Amino acid sequence: MGSVLHDPAGEPTFEPMIQIDMEIKTFVSAWKHCDYVSTYIARMISQNRSDSVRHSNLFSSAFNELLEVAFRTRHADGELACRVSRHGATDRIELTFPCMPEERQFYQEAASQVAGFEARERYLNSVSGDLAPSREVVLLELAVDYDATLRVEEADGDAITLVMDLPLEGLQH
Amino acid sequence: MSPYNLHPRFKTQYDANNQEFSISGVIRPQAIDELGPSLALLRDAIGRVRGVLYVNVRRLAQMNNAAFHAFSRIILDACRARPDLKFVVITSSVVGWTSRKFGRLSGIEPNITVEEYDSEFYPGQGFLEEGGFVPILRTQTKMTWRHERAILPRHGMRPGVVMADICCGIGDFAVLVQKEFQPSRIVALDHSISSLDYARRVMREFDIRGIEYTYGDASEMLLDEAQFDLVTCRHSLQIFNRPELILKELYRICKPGGRVYITNEKNSHCLGEPRAESIRWTYNEVAKLFAHFEMDVELGPKSRRYLIEAGFDDIRVETFTVTNLDGDPQDFADVIVAWADVYAGEMATKRGDGPEFVARFRQGFQDHIFAALHPKGYAGWPIWVASGRRPQ
Ligand SMILES: C[S@@+](CC[C@H](N)C(=O)[O-])C[C@H]1O[C@@H](n2cnc3c(N)ncnc32)[C@H](O)[C@@H]1O
Repeated sequence: MGSVLHDPAGEPTFEPMIQIDMEIKTFVSAWKHCDYVSTYIARMISQNRSDSVRHSNLFSSAFNELLEVAFRTRHADGELACRVSRHGATDRIELTFPCMPEERQFYQEAASQVAGFEARERYLNSVSGDLAPSREVVLLELAVDYDATLRVEEADGDAITLVMDLPLEGLQH
Repeated sequence: MSPYNLHPRFKTQYDANNQEFSISGVIRPQAIDELGPSLALLRDAIGRVRGVLYVNVRRLAQMNNAAFHAFSRIILDACRARPDLKFVVITSSVVGWTSRKFGRLSGIEPNITVEEYDSEFYPGQGFLEEGGFVPILRTQTKMTWRHERAILPRHGMRPGVVMADICCGIGDFAVLVQKEFQPSRIVALDHSISSLDYARRVMREFDIRGIEYTYGDASEMLLDEAQFDLVTCRHSLQIFNRPELILKELYRICKPGGRVYITNEKNSHCLGEPRAESIRWTYNEVAKLFAHFEMDVELGPKSRRYLIEAGFDDIRVETFTVTNLDGDPQDFADVIVAWADVYAGEMATKRGDGPEFVARFRQGFQDHIFAALHPKGYAGWPIWVASGRRPQ
């Protein structure tokens, strides 16, 4: 992969921890892949956190949601790449996956909603509403409950990268 | 990876006596139909209760948003349909996300409250978690280690094992094991944040690697099944009012073929010469005092029964006595001073003991110290070690 560019200035360097790539076809062939991948990666990257078990539980919880979002892509070809890197107390997940042009737009909008300060309000409304949580709501919840920040980057081909920063070390007991 | 398909990954239950609906395990459905029976059970429970329905999610390790929404909807709807009904969601401080996520519900419906289940696991908790126990534990471990380092290999300890120390306290034992036996991994769990802070500080300062300290509840651990070759739990079964629940968890995280190693006391058998009578009287009283707080410091010799009843085989039991002749007698005396402080101090006061009793109670500790430091004296503290193998 290696096509994700970071802001050249000011951005701290995140040290790569682990990367898993697979065919999107393979990934979407079974729902439990979200659970496997999130659990496996969470365990691998949490061992040197101050509380590995707690960190792994939180990380898996957040990462699984992101994978479930990617699972719903409508694009049938290409690769899914999950990359986790770390800077201090923050873990960064970069999830690259193929998506249709209209979905791209959707993710851009969702990311700006997540950053908005009414994120919490929107999220609460959706919990009390009837509809099963949409992808947008899932992303909102990550911001509201895990203090995650999200941005979307263009990737090669028909793919995008969701970049989520998770400051789990700082999350209160 | 873990045997996902062999076990149902989550469980829902309704306990009519306590009006409690509980959800445990990992719930990550793709579609809500997968939850059908569980959602029906919740609806049914709501239909039956009066007053309050407790929703217990203490043992819920994971739940995706799809499932969260499905359960929440039913609860929120019920709040609207039945304003007489209150919901109390019980989360655990150990599972980081649950209080936040479920906490949102109380912002939507005032009839829903969220309580973080935490401090009161068992009656004696306060004394042991934040009380004056840290110095006692340090010296105790230093003294027991002289014996245990020779004993441990007979109970499954060897280099390279993956081990867990449950109720690790301030972590001294884990550090000693790490140095002596080089296990490939040690997970050390306790429910005292201050003890864990202390343990982590020691690890940083002495640049010790390979120990993962983790905050958790021994009776409901987030650790996966069957991952450890050796699970140790020292001096701790005896402080729980229901030790069998902890043993069940120790069994669960132990690999088939691996071993669970426990140490416990029988306080009434502490002994000394001279002044044997006074010493004996006091330690008999120690056992009664703990029993008052529902802790069984006489558990040592019952270890075999507990291990058998928990399903272990190849059970091995041995005892050793820490004495004033192991190393510096002053260490022994220091431990007794610390015991006297807590037992005849905080604990006796809490039980409401009168000054006369306390004076006599203290005297036995004084006499034990006297015996320990006496040039011809002998003082002992017996410990029961037991281990069992989880059947293949
Ligand atoms: C008597 S101390 C023994 C500590 C250590 N194993 C030793 O031998 O020095 C008991 C320990 O159990 C811990 N503890 C009490 N309740 C617990 C629970 N529910 N889960 C985990 N640890 C608990 C206390 O914080 C304390 O550190």
